[in-house]
Amino acid sequence: MKIRTIKRMLQEGFSNTYKNLLMSLASLTMVIASLLIFGVFLMVTVNLFYNYNRIESQFEIVVILKTNAAPLEANDIERKLRTDERVSDYIRVSKEEAFSELEEMLEDTELLKGLTPEFLYESFRIHMKDSNQSKVFVEELSLMPGIQEMEFPRELLDKLGVVFKWMNVGSMFVLALLLLISVSIISNTIKLTVYARRKEIGIMKYIGASDWFIRWPFIIEGMIIGLVGSIASFLLTGYVYSAIENYVNRELVMNGLEILRIKSLDNIGGKILFLYVMIGMIMGAVGSIISVRKHLNV
Amino acid sequence: MIEFTNVTKRYDNGVFGLSDVTFRIEKGEFIFIVGPSGSGKSTLLKLILHEEIPSEGDVFVNGFHIGQMNRREIPYLRRGLGVVFQDFRLLPNKTVYENVSYAMQVVEAQPRDIRRQVPVALALVGLSKKAKAYPGQLSGGEQQRVALARALVNNPSVLLADEPTGNLDPSISWEIMKLLDEINQRGTTVVVATHAKSIVDDMRKRVMSLEYGQIIHDVQKGNYTNED
Repeated sequence: MKIRTIKRMLQEGFSNTYKNLLMSLASLTMVIASLLIFGVFLMVTVNLFYNYNRIESQFEIVVILKTNAAPLEANDIERKLRTDERVSDYIRVSKEEAFSELEEMLEDTELLKGLTPEFLYESFRIHMKDSNQSKVFVEELSLMPGIQEMEFPRELLDKLGVVFKWMNVGSMFVLALLLLISVSIISNTIKLTVYARRKEIGIMKYIGASDWFIRWPFIIEGMIIGLVGSIASFLLTGYVYSAIENYVNRELVMNGLEILRIKSLDNIGGKILFLYVMIGMIMGAVGSIISVRKHLNV
Repeated sequence: MIEFTNVTKRYDNGVFGLSDVTFRIEKGEFIFIVGPSGSGKSTLLKLILHEEIPSEGDVFVNGFHIGQMNRREIPYLRRGLGVVFQDFRLLPNKTVYENVSYAMQVVEAQPRDIRRQVPVALALVGLSKKAKAYPGQLSGGEQQRVALARALVNNPSVLLADEPTGNLDPSISWEIMKLLDEINQRGTTVVVATHAKSIVDDMRKRVMSLEYGQIIHDVQKGNYTNED
């Protein structure tokens, strides 16, 4: 294909989009509508992932040492925590710290009169990088001497994990389904524009235009509509999302549910825009190819 | 050069478009194809354009073997044929100039050639002044002349006209026919399918009459009915 032909097809694509404004707007509306619904599910999925990880990372393993544990044993445990790569961070709570925490909790210090921190135990609070490794890690730790007991919410985490996994599978399925439906709706809308121009296609064939010469302007037209639609729905999604983000996060904090949070899109906005544009343009192009095909067999 | 040898065209619903038709049209000829509706005129033109393919027999057009060629070759066959229809078939969104230049863009002609050739074609049909008008702003006769300019701009060796005057007044029809004759004088083979009896009789060209898909007359300098 010659350069000037490519240039012509671009011009043709743009001017057809404009000259068939009503049909272009119909397709555009479909692109925006599908991408908005797609966006809602995408955002739900993203936030499910995000909050699961948040919850997961906030669960801690608590290791309680025996009251009579030797300092050496405590140091051994701390060394393991410091060097093990699976550990994200940990806090060592000394007997004194535990005692002052207790004092704060009780308010009435009279009760503790005459007692020294010695009757309390030392403990570690541990955050894992990946909570899936907690189970193995806890088993390893339990072999070390000086440990009284360990607490970690394994069952809860496992249950939560299953729930999130299925929610995730479900939303992925809905996303895929939505994309499929969108492509078919859009190709049907484009089919209307192609149908309105089937005479034009027929004329092109009589003049001796090759199939690709006829197809390209339609594909470009579809891609332009996809591009404009995807940017518009991205802006719309972003605007509505940030409003929801501000409101819901404020409410969550006010109700003491800081563990949950709506993810900020600042870091992934570029990726989402890219995804939207790709989906929009591919939907437009595929829709055009499907729609023109039938009319090329003259 | 167009050659039909024992060509039969049977449609899927069992109707015969043409049955066992054999004829030749030489380069530079002017031929009328006449006959009532359903006699096979349209089938004949569709076969030449590769819009239909023969059920039996062979059709050769400018060296292309209709029905035996690759789908990709079809555009190249059509580039050698100029076509004019009863309903003009212009692109309503394009100006007269664009309608004609479009035919050259399709064949990826040089922009320089396009700028030179389109005005020549428009001048030939007498529409230089309407270059910027849209088809909807033109009369039927003018639209048909645009269609002629478009058909001719790539210098096809054959011009096919399917009822070119079917939608036009008699006086306008004459103008179009004179144009076709002029085009023929310049060396283009002209094939005209028509109902216009008076025109056929006055032009004194080769006339091929079809009925029920068969050739009943094929006479040089003939009349529509060939009673003489």
